Amino acid sequence: MKALKKLLHARELSSILFLIALFLVVGLINPSFLNSSNVSACFNTSVVYTLVAVGMAFTLFIGEIDVSVGANLGIVATVVGSMLRDGAPVPAAILVGILIGAAIGFINGWGVALMHAPSLIFTLGVCGILRGLMYLYTNGAWVENLPKDFKDFSAVTAVGDLTVYYCAAVVLTIVIWVLTTKTRHGRYFIAVGDNASGAELVGIPSKRVKVIAYVICGVLSAIAGIIFTSRIGFVTADSGDGYEMKAIAACVLGGISLVGGVGSVIGAAVGAVIMASISYLLVFMGFSSNYDNAITGIILIVIVVVDALIQHRSVIKNYHARLLARVSPDQVVAGATEKGGE
Amino acid sequence: MAANSKAPAAGKGAASKKNGLSFFKRGQASWNIMLVALILLEFVIFGAANPKFLKPQLLLTSIDDSMSVMIISLFVTFVMITGGIDIQVASLVGLTSIIIGVTWQDFGFSILQSCLLAIIVAAACGALSGFFIAYCGVQAMVVTLGGSFLYSGIALLVSTLSSTASYQGIGNFPDEFKVIGQYKIGGVLPLQIVIYAVLLVIAFILLHKTKYGRKIFLCGVNPSAAEFSGINSRRVIMSTYILSGIAAAIAGIILTSYLGTAKSDLGSDLTMDIVTAVVLGGTLSTGGKGSVFGTALSSLVIALLRFGLPLCFKIGTQYLDIPVGILLVAIIVGRSVASHQSVGTTLKSLFLRKDVQKA
Repeated sequence: MKALKKLLHARELSSILFLIALFLVVGLINPSFLNSSNVSACFNTSVVYTLVAVGMAFTLFIGEIDVSVGANLGIVATVVGSMLRDGAPVPAAILVGILIGAAIGFINGWGVALMHAPSLIFTLGVCGILRGLMYLYTNGAWVENLPKDFKDFSAVTAVGDLTVYYCAAVVLTIVIWVLTTKTRHGRYFIAVGDNASGAELVGIPSKRVKVIAYVICGVLSAIAGIIFTSRIGFVTADSGDGYEMKAIAACVLGGISLVGGVGSVIGAAVGAVIMASISYLLVFMGFSSNYDNAITGIILIVIVVVDALIQHRSVIKNYHARLLARVSPDQVVAGATEKGGE
Repeated sequence: MAANSKAPAAGKGAASKKNGLSFFKRGQASWNIMLVALILLEFVIFGAANPKFLKPQLLLTSIDDSMSVMIISLFVTFVMITGGIDIQVASLVGLTSIIIGVTWQDFGFSILQSCLLAIIVAAACGALSGFFIAYCGVQAMVVTLGGSFLYSGIALLVSTLSSTASYQGIGNFPDEFKVIGQYKIGGVLPLQIVIYAVLLVIAFILLHKTKYGRKIFLCGVNPSAAEFSGINSRRVIMSTYILSGIAAAIAGIILTSYLGTAKSDLGSDLTMDIVTAVVLGGTLSTGGKGSVFGTALSSLVIALLRFGLPLCFKIGTQYLDIPVGILLVAIIVGRSVASHQSVGTTLKSLFLRKDVQKA
C-alpha cells in the first residue's frame, strides 16, 4: 500500500516535472518568456480548465466519465450572464448557477449510478440536450453588456501576478486533495473506482458515492462557467464547446487513469495548466496557434501510450515473479518484494 | 461492466436465457422491428403534420444531408462490437475534405489521385490509433480523443498550405467530382444512396457472413478467449479502426462533393449522431453484440428526425440536438434498466450455486 502511494505520488510528480521542463524549454528558445507576468499568464488562463479538470477527475476516479461538463459550463455561463445583465445581484446569480450545475450533475449521477447507463453515452446525450437548451434560452444570441465590476474582478490579483480566481482555484484544489486523500469518506471515490464490488462488500455505498462524484463534477463545472463569464466578459452560443475533451486530456496528462481508482486532483490541476499553456507557449516558440490541436493530440497520445507500456511491463514482471514463486520456494521472498514494489 | 452487456436489450423475457445464441438473434430481430416501427411512426407523424414530407424527391434529398452519419456509423459498429469506441472519425471527415481540396487545387493532383490519397491517409490515421489501442493496450476512448485533436489539428495545418483562406473553403471542383454527391440517377435517385447501399451490403457481408465478422464478435465478447482460440485479436481490433477510418474518408469525399467546398472543420459535430446511431441500432457499448442492419435502421431514424422536425414543426436546426440527445438518453437508460434486472438474477443464482456447493 505504501509503495502504491509512492507510485501515485510519482505520477503527479512526473507531470509537475513535465510542466517545469516545458517552461524551461520555451525559456531557452525565447528568453523573454521567463518572467513573472508571462508565467503567471499561463496559470491565470488555466483557471477554467483547472476547475473543470478537477471536477472531471472525480468522475474518472470512480471509473466513469462525464462529457457534458462543457455544455454544463456553457449553460451556467449563459444563465448567470443573462441574470447579471438584467441586474440580478451577483450572489443570487452565482447561487442559481451552482444549483443548475448540481442538478445537471445529479441527473448524470442518477443515469450512471442508479440506472446503470454507460457513462460516456449517457453524458453525451445530456450534452446534446444541454446544448440545445442553451440555444433555446438565448436564441443563438450573445449575452453581452455584463456589469463592469463583475468583469473587472477577473483582473484583480492576489499573489504576485496571479489572479484571485486562480489562487482560489488552487486553494480549492488543495482542500479537495486533502479531503480525498486524508479522510475516510474522501477515499471512497478512489476505492469505488478501483474495485466497485469490493468497495460494496466492505460497506461503501458505491451508488451514493458515484452520484456525489457527479454532483461535485457538476458544481465545479458550474463554478468554472461563472469564472468563464467573468473572464471573457460575454457569452457566445457555443461557449464551453470542447472543454470536456480538454479536461479529459488534462486529467490524463496529470496521471489519472480512465480505468478509475488512480490519480489525484493535484495531477488534474497540473495537467490543466499544461493544456491551457500550450497555445500560449507556441506563440513564444514562434509557431502559429494553428499547431495547437495537433500538438495537444501528440502530447496526449504519447503520454498515454508510454504510460500504458510502463504499466504493461510491470504487470508482466509481476506475473513472472508470481510464476517464479510458485515453482521455486526459495524465490518467494524475492517475488514478494517484487510484487510489493509495483 | 462486462456482465451488464450480456443481456440483450429488447428481450426482457427470461425464457430463452438457456440458449444464448438464439436469444441473441431474437433480441436483435425484435429490436429491428421496433426500429422499423419507429421509422413508420415518424412517417405517420411527419406526414400528417406536413404532406410535403412524403414527397419521394424531398425525402431522398433529406437523406443526403445525413449521409455522413449513415456511412460512418456502419463501420463504427464494428469498432463498438470489439468493445472500443471511435470518436476521431468526425475529425477524419474534415481531414479528408481538406486533403482533397489542397492536393487538387494547390498541388496539381488529379481529383482521383486526391481522393485516393485522402482514403489512404484516413486509413493510416485509423491504423495508428488502432495500433495504440490493440498493441499497446491504451483505452480506445483516450487514444481516439487524442486522435481527434491530432487529426483536426493536422487538417488545420493542411489548410494553411493552400492559397485559399481556410475559412472560405476550397471550391470550384470539376464536374466529374461533383457527380459523386450531386448526381441523381433518372433525376430521382441520388448516387449517394446507391453508394450507401453498396457499403451497407459490404458491411453486412463482412460482419455477419464472413469468418472475419465472427472474429470481431468474439474479440468483443472475450478478447483473451479469442486469443486462446487462435484468433489474432490484436490485428482484428486494429483492423476495425482502419475500416472506420476508411468509412470516414468515403463520407468526407461524398460530403465535400455534395457541398462543393472543402473545409478542414467539416463534420466536426457528427460525433454524437454517430454514437447515437450505433447505440440505438442495438450495439452494446461494452462490445460483443450488434448488427449492421440495426445501425442502418437507427441512422435512418435520426436522419428522418433531423429532416422532419424542421420541415413539419418549424423547429430550428440548432435545437435538433435536444431530441437526438433525449433519444440517446432514453434508449440507454431503458436498455440498462431492462438488462440490469436479468444481470441481477444471474448474479444471484451464481452466488446461490456457490453456497450450495459449499454446503
